[in-house]
Amino acid sequence: MTHTEIFEKLHEVALNPKAQMDAYLAQGKKVVLCAPVYTPEEIVHAMGFIPMGAWGGDRELNRAKEYCPAFLCSIAQSILELGMIGVYEGASAIIIPSLCDTLKTLGQNWKYAVKDIPFIPMTYPQNRKPAFGVAFTRAGYERVVAELEKLGGKFDNAALRASCEVYNRHNAAMRKLDEVLAKHPEVTAAQRSDAFKSAFFMEKSEHTAIIEELIAALEATPAGRGKKPILVSGILADAPQFNAILDEMGLYIAADDIAAQSRQYRTDVPAGDDALTALAEKFANMDNCSVLYDQEKLRVKLIVDTVKARGIAGVLVVMTKFCDPEEFDYVPIKRACEAAGIPVTIVETDRQMAHYEQARTNIETFRDMLMM
Amino acid sequence: MYTLGIDIGSTTSKCAILKDGTELVATSLQRGGLGTGGPEEALSRLWRERGLSREDMERVIATGYGRNKFRGADGEVSELTCHALGGRFIFPDLRTVIDIGGQDAKIISLTADGRMSNFIMNDKCAAGTGRFLEVMANILCLDINDLGPIAAKSDKPAPISSTCTVFAESEVISQMANGVEQADLVAGICQSVATRVAALARRAGITQRVCMSGGVARNEAVRRYMAEALNTEISFDPRAQYFGAIGAALYAWRQADQVYSGNF
Repeated sequence: MTHTEIFEKLHEVALNPKAQMDAYLAQGKKVVLCAPVYTPEEIVHAMGFIPMGAWGGDRELNRAKEYCPAFLCSIAQSILELGMIGVYEGASAIIIPSLCDTLKTLGQNWKYAVKDIPFIPMTYPQNRKPAFGVAFTRAGYERVVAELEKLGGKFDNAALRASCEVYNRHNAAMRKLDEVLAKHPEVTAAQRSDAFKSAFFMEKSEHTAIIEELIAALEATPAGRGKKPILVSGILADAPQFNAILDEMGLYIAADDIAAQSRQYRTDVPAGDDALTALAEKFANMDNCSVLYDQEKLRVKLIVDTVKARGIAGVLVVMTKFCDPEEFDYVPIKRACEAAGIPVTIVETDRQMAHYEQARTNIETFRDMLMM
Repeated sequence: MYTLGIDIGSTTSKCAILKDGTELVATSLQRGGLGTGGPEEALSRLWRERGLSREDMERVIATGYGRNKFRGADGEVSELTCHALGGRFIFPDLRTVIDIGGQDAKIISLTADGRMSNFIMNDKCAAGTGRFLEVMANILCLDINDLGPIAAKSDKPAPISSTCTVFAESEVISQMANGVEQADLVAGICQSVATRVAALARRAGITQRVCMSGGVARNEAVRRYMAEALNTEISFDPRAQYFGAIGAALYAWRQADQVYSGNF
């Protein structure tokens, strides 16, 4: 297949996660939903379930308002909304991690709002790096295992180790894809988004195969020219209207610091006989994310270093409205970029946005800043 | 060579014609912006009063929130870029533009050589915008253009919340019920807009020379309270409302003349 055909296939998956889930259910497989930001998918995979990302969707929120105030992250609200209106029907459970305050409320509301899909909490420690933090994470994973066993899953150390390898290989493919896409400005922001978003809805070895094929196809294609390279940072950047504006403005994503994209794939599960401990160590080793406690804010340096390394013209922060962790990080990101002479701007988005005119004006002005 | 800029905002449409990118030869303004006949009426007036036509224009650039819907332009450019260009056209040493339009407020920072280095938009709510003043003027049964002169009569502005237009509306009604003088109330309303936008401006950083653009710039009271809040002088030009259109005309000229040097 050509890279265009592969992107079309990934677009279909990204556009129709429900169809993807129904297909897995029709094959007699059980699906477990994995809410943002970091859920131990490897455990779900190893215990015989299909892990599917549940990051909500772009839609008007109605039912979720029975539980949520207006000033609450729309990602969490839209997950609850989709649960309440039956879009996730057929899923065996949902795992919701405790990585931000809104996710904690999502889990508590889910128990009452969506009674037919069991809620499995994954409580992560703030101090994830010390030995006691690793032990805490491991205990949390044990609880997830116990809950999945109630749903018919079977835990086996060797199976988990094998699933960790499946996920490590997928991580490597996604990191490689990010590097290759940086050299292909002709790939649209929407195509890039589809490649990452589809990963949430496919069994990982299936997705790895298609991504490796995509990488090979792109490497065999001469790179396009004429667009301004930017880095996008934030939780999400998958809205079609938003991506269309980037393409229209002649900007291309040469790197991302998006939670739903590259942040997922930066860290592998290390080697180790006890797979559950190794998985907990993976979480301990993770960094550079607003929901991972870090006094030093190393994420800021990573953004600046990436911009310099890839010759990127500017940083576009895509701020999900009412996302406290991202709002806290924006200040040091802006200061560091300005100190390094890197143009930076911020665009606020949320899952309910129907009109992007003000975002367009903002991005267009940013483009002018980069061009002039 | 003539070039035309048309700025289609949320409440008004403005046109400006430049000759050779250096001389402002004509302007026109029409109430009614995006989604109305305002843009066409502003253009008709311009042609009628100046004896010019579309054919005389080497290039036409549209800006403002209605720029994408306007048929008849050769291109479109964001209004922030245009306000920066237009402001710099009037004040060559300009470094900070405070643009308060009908539905939002924007702060634009320029480098010493005129490049746009930073910008901030308040796109969340109507507080701190022309819409806020319009709503308040309606409550008080006043013409929005009279707010500035009336506020000038006050020496003790009534405190008005700058948080939200809806809350402020009920606050103004309560103040009226308590017998607060109209001039003090209007001064408080103008001060509310100024302090809210000043907070936004401080986030972007203030470097002299500072000017205000957009329709609200014509309100002398808002300018005065803005200067007080920022503790800086605010430059004003009667053509402030046309900065977007002037900038668009200048952009058009640069494109037409292919003298795009990389600087504003």
